[in-house]
Amino acid sequence: MLENVPILSLIILIPLIGAAIIFLTGKNAKATKVTALTFSAIPLVLSFVLLASFSLDIGTYQFRERYEWIPGLGISYSLGVDGISILMVFLTTLLCFLAILFSWDVEHRTKEYMGLMLILDVGVLGVFTSLDYFLFYVFWEVVLIPMYFLIAIWGGPRRDYASIKFFIYTHVASLAMLITIMALYFEAKPVLGYASFSMIDIASVSGGFGQVFQVAAFGSLFFAFGVKMPIVPFHTWLPDAHVEAPTAGSVLLAGLLLKMGSYGIIRVALPTLPDGASMLMPLMLAIAIISILYGAIVCLAQKDLKKMVAFSSISHMGIVLLGISTGSELGIAAAVFQMFAHGLITAVLFMMCGVVQHKTGTREIPLLGGLASKMPIATTFMTIGFLASLGLPGMVGFIAEFSVFIATFDAYTWILLLPIASVAITAGYFLWALQRSMFGPLTEKIDTSHIHDVNWYESVPLAILALLIILFGMLPSLGFDFIRPSAGIISGVLGVI
Amino acid sequence: MAGLSAIYPELVMIVVAIAIPAIYYTTRSHKILSTVSLVGIAASMGIVVQFLFDGARADTLEGGLLRLDAFSALFQLIFLIVAFYVILASYKYVQGERHIAEYHTLILMATAGMMIVASSLDLITLFVGLELASLSSYALVGFRKKDKKGAEAATKYFIIGAISSAISLYGISLLYGLTGSTMFTDIGALVGGMAGMDPVLLLALVLLIAGFGFKVAIVPFHMWAPDVYEGAPTTVTSLLAASSKKMGFVALFKIFLIGLIAVRVEWQLVVAVISVATMVVGNLIAISQTNIKRMLAYSSIAQAGYILMVLPIGTEYALAGGIFHIITHAFMKGGAFIIVATLSTVAIGETLSDYKGLAKRSPLMAFSMTVLLFSLAGIPPLAGFASKFVLFSSAVDASIVPADNWMIWLAVAGVLNSALSLFYYVRVIKYIYVDKGPIERTRLPNTMVAAVLITVIATIVIGLYPAPVIDACNAAARAFFP
Repeated sequence: MLENVPILSLIILIPLIGAAIIFLTGKNAKATKVTALTFSAIPLVLSFVLLASFSLDIGTYQFRERYEWIPGLGISYSLGVDGISILMVFLTTLLCFLAILFSWDVEHRTKEYMGLMLILDVGVLGVFTSLDYFLFYVFWEVVLIPMYFLIAIWGGPRRDYASIKFFIYTHVASLAMLITIMALYFEAKPVLGYASFSMIDIASVSGGFGQVFQVAAFGSLFFAFGVKMPIVPFHTWLPDAHVEAPTAGSVLLAGLLLKMGSYGIIRVALPTLPDGASMLMPLMLAIAIISILYGAIVCLAQKDLKKMVAFSSISHMGIVLLGISTGSELGIAAAVFQMFAHGLITAVLFMMCGVVQHKTGTREIPLLGGLASKMPIATTFMTIGFLASLGLPGMVGFIAEFSVFIATFDAYTWILLLPIASVAITAGYFLWALQRSMFGPLTEKIDTSHIHDVNWYESVPLAILALLIILFGMLPSLGFDFIRPSAGIISGVLGVI
Repeated sequence: MAGLSAIYPELVMIVVAIAIPAIYYTTRSHKILSTVSLVGIAASMGIVVQFLFDGARADTLEGGLLRLDAFSALFQLIFLIVAFYVILASYKYVQGERHIAEYHTLILMATAGMMIVASSLDLITLFVGLELASLSSYALVGFRKKDKKGAEAATKYFIIGAISSAISLYGISLLYGLTGSTMFTDIGALVGGMAGMDPVLLLALVLLIAGFGFKVAIVPFHMWAPDVYEGAPTTVTSLLAASSKKMGFVALFKIFLIGLIAVRVEWQLVVAVISVATMVVGNLIAISQTNIKRMLAYSSIAQAGYILMVLPIGTEYALAGGIFHIITHAFMKGGAFIIVATLSTVAIGETLSDYKGLAKRSPLMAFSMTVLLFSLAGIPPLAGFASKFVLFSSAVDASIVPADNWMIWLAVAGVLNSALSLFYYVRVIKYIYVDKGPIERTRLPNTMVAAVLITVIATIVIGLYPAPVIDACNAAARAFFP
């Protein structure tokens, strides 16, 4: 039945239609929110259909769609998902739906807010499903514009600086990718005998490109995607953007936009330039370890709850890169699983930052304390989120990090001791922050008389995420079954077992 | 009339241009004047479009001075489209002014001149077309005689224009002296046959770069552009930026890529350096501008730097990219100036801070400006991205040849400059959408809104579906190289 339905196009198109409806009509705030929620719910339902009808035995692309777009240059509108991207599509539709629900109290320029959220959804979904470089780049850049506005209009006090920094920083990185894409295209053209921007076509011949070219191109792609992840030392846009972004913006930024970076490395850089990848593996390993440790140590020093969570993202995305740098099937699969896990967990964390900010008016940890007595439900969710993030067994974060560490040991043996030290630091800063902000005697530094517990539109998304965190923690095969065959193909190209 | 089919489009324009004063004298109606101009442009456009659909047709005028082919027809179409939306927007903008008939005649004459440049096969024809267009635009810039800024701009434009014409004419005369011919193809063949590098040829080269460099406002010959763009009536600025400057590029393409292609190594690197310098200077100075017309003028300079990339790369694909970018730039920049003109009719000024809170006052203009600025910055999926993509990728393409490896840096410079330019474009967008300003809604004149919509819709549609335009550009580039 599904063979003839362009389900991926539908998933991308429906939020776009929703955004158009909202921009053209949206006078009534309530109706706007309902419309936005509906048009983000349909892709979520469709992504369940996608997951259900995905055949797990083959690791290659399924649900392919292909139409000529600019035939003169070999550009096509070409979509497809494999086991890696299907999880990302699911994560995207889920987080977008929950983020819109979580934003139920946005009253300032609701129309634009909801419309931009949906366009962001379109862009991210497009990135995760494109199989054509040109299309991939278009969607990649489309993501920037709504995110810029989300920070610039609904952001915190330093939003001007943070939004433009985010925009320019990531745009420069994108342009590095653009040049590399062009170089790949022209290198592949004579070998293929025809012009094509198709990722599959180019990957089929690019393995034979000269080593110098491969290293240069891989390095450039690694920079382009690394800025987005982000990797140290190209991470400085992230704390600024996160601290100033509205809560739902942070959720999508950390939950989805960072994943675009690591997804790009896995989808594009590794299989297309295997020689370059294996030459630069040590560099990736080093940067991964630095990111993990640096992110974790900087977290210890943060007073702002949200800034701490933002830096913890750097550390956790470092773990993704660590998995990638092994090049093995387990390593790549674990990296993808860590992306998925981090998407779920970090959404909870940022939502909790939003809740705390909203109810108490501050996120400064020293000003908080003893909030558990005032907001027990919120504290429960925060505890779940923090414990999941520090890698408590039984939750999704543990499985992901543990698998990455196993793969790292397989590949690099005792070097593992360095990144694994971060586990202790991570546990330290999360528990310490939890202790200072939620437990202990009730703070007297701020007015606590009006603090009340979470609203329904906050607790529902948090509860769904908490359930998924535990579900995937208990049954990791729900995710790994999808990922492994596709990860196997990529590690096969790299020649690592 | 058989031999004249190559200049039908120009003839239509000239006939209408001459008829307009008579029509105005008899009817005294601004409305009829605009309608006649628009109909004339549309008729000329019809001929050109019909020609474009005819595939590989090429009509040469008796004597071989002009040829209408895929290349010249495409450029003529661009010039005609620009003239169309400029006249449409001018209906309200110049309402009630004196000399309205002259205004329309001059726009049509300028456009006819540009069209002649596009189809010229010969240096003299090219020069005649160039002067026709230039003299008309000097007068257009000074159209508001009482306006001090306008008068200053016109004087400056005239002096600079006259000097640059003289310089390029000197270069042309040297070329003629060397080769004994004014035909581009003959010059190309004879220059190719010369043994070694003649110093006179080198002098001619320098004079031509300087002369035409002034016309297209490349660094270091760019100083006049911001003053003239700022001082001219904004609809005229739109014409200058969107088509007059592009005519200069046509001339450069013809002289350098046909006439002087044989001595390419002599000028390649110099032009490449000028191209990069133009991008950098244009973008850097644009950042510090507080007047939107000046900002757009500097951004035009930067865009000229991108287009100039075509000369050193010199491949057919690069030319196609250059033509494509000229097309999209005609819509983006022309449209942006028309928006400035439109808003000035409701007393929204020309400084950047006047655009604060525009989203509340005029959502449509706010959206249009945002689309055009994002497109200028090269953000997909808009037209500016598609054309920059083709243009910059042609540099990457050329760099595959080992001897031309350095050309990759043209692409790198191009993309870095695009990122730089994003800074000042986004600042305007931030003013429009994020900052607060006056909130009363405005009523804008319909004809001007229509002109803006033409450019915005073209920018979006070309961005989403560039295939037909790219095909046309490829065909034009194929027709250009003999």
